[in-house]
Amino acid sequence: MLDLTLAAIQDHAPAAQEHASGPLTVEGGLMFWTIVVFLLLLAILKRFAWPAILGAVEAREQALERQLAEAARDREQAAALLAEHQKLIAEAKSQAHAIIVEAKSVAEKDRALAIEKTRQEQEERLARARREIGAERDRAVAELRREAVDLSLAAASKLIEKRLDGDTDRKIVLDYLATLDRRP
Amino acid sequence: MTRFVRSVTLAAALMMAAGASPVLSAQEHGGTADVARDAVAPSSQREATENQIDIVHHLGNSHEIETPFGVVHLPRWEPIHIGGIALDLSPTKHLVFMLLAATIVALTFLLSARSVARAQAEGRPAKGFAGSMEALALYIRQEVVLPNVGHHGEGFAPYLLTLFFFILVMNILGLLPWGSTATGNITVTAALALMAFITIEVAGMRALGWKGYLNTIFYLPPGLPGPLKPIMLIIMTPVEIIGKLSKPFALAVRLFANMTAGHVLVLALIGLTFLFQSWLVGVAAAILATGIMLLELFVAFLQAFVFTLLTSVFIGLMRAEH
Repeated sequence: MLDLTLAAIQDHAPAAQEHASGPLTVEGGLMFWTIVVFLLLLAILKRFAWPAILGAVEAREQALERQLAEAARDREQAAALLAEHQKLIAEAKSQAHAIIVEAKSVAEKDRALAIEKTRQEQEERLARARREIGAERDRAVAELRREAVDLSLAAASKLIEKRLDGDTDRKIVLDYLATLDRRP
Repeated sequence: MTRFVRSVTLAAALMMAAGASPVLSAQEHGGTADVARDAVAPSSQREATENQIDIVHHLGNSHEIETPFGVVHLPRWEPIHIGGIALDLSPTKHLVFMLLAATIVALTFLLSARSVARAQAEGRPAKGFAGSMEALALYIRQEVVLPNVGHHGEGFAPYLLTLFFFILVMNILGLLPWGSTATGNITVTAALALMAFITIEVAGMRALGWKGYLNTIFYLPPGLPGPLKPIMLIIMTPVEIIGKLSKPFALAVRLFANMTAGHVLVLALIGLTFLFQSWLVGVAAAILATGIMLLELFVAFLQAFVFTLLTSVFIGLMRAEH
């Protein structure tokens, strides 16, 4: 390369006057023109041709990339929405569950309360019944006793009409009956 | 197909044999042949010198262009002196064909661009010739430029596309009758390689920064012991510089040599006809030259592709250097 360049520089003057130059000669003028022509072509094509030809492709590429990005964003949004929905559903479920549990406990409490009340009422009624029965019995016992006293007195007076009369005898019977009462 | 190939080969071989024998017989009967040649000498010898093919002259640059209508002499201008170097800016054959190639490339792509833009505006892909040019440009961009240059390789696409089509058309122009291959001139390929070299180095500077770029010339591997550093610099710096220069040098020589070799081969084959003065050799040479021309057509595309591909690879390597 160096040799060629040197040769070109040294031989240039005679070469220019000669009819032709060989394929291995490096000509400064042609090199200059090559660079000029290439840069001119590059400038023209870069300004007028490549943007239109590659621009179409690049626009297509960008549109595709944009669509891909949009799709990815949509997918992310969808996933977020789904997660949110799932969370909402889970929350609703747990709320429903809590409501049911609460309702159950309230019902349980109500029922227990009602049972308790009923039992109390029952007991009360029972107690009252017992009390009434007791009172009835007492009354019946007192009645019976009075009847018994009267009957026994009548019987005794019939039996021992003559002998047994007066308050002392009556007291004796009453005392005896008191001992009966004390006995269960 | 195979029958056709076989028959063509057979015909070629027969013609070679037949064409060779008259010459041999002419040598055997030297005396009579000389007499016969002398008899027709005055006109035929002059004709022979006129018909003589100077391969080097044909391949080389000149100030005249052969056309079907005679030889056109290009104007000569006085060389411009810049410093000690004389620049002869007068037009030459290769310059004319280079300009022709540039015009063809510019017209092709300006018209294609207009067609593509119109199709784009109508919302459909380009059809026909413009569509094929778009596909070709797209192929170079997608398969050659972007994978090799690396990230943000789009910026290099206009340069590399222009390079590819410019070289391609210059290569093809040389295959046409009366055509001439500007890329068969070392000056042209050297200029293209020089621009490639500048592009590669500037791409490196822009991608790596000044420090990173200087690191590609004065390379010191990390962890090198202090005393070894100067030795490393003394040995490796010339190697790195040679490495940088050898790439464009190889680009220039590869393109030039490929273009020149094909033409030399075709001219040599055709020259056989004139050497043997036999129409049978002429037919055989024409068939062989046709084969070589087909090969050259392929090589025209291949070398344009290789130049572009290697430039892309070198830019990519330079930008990825650390």
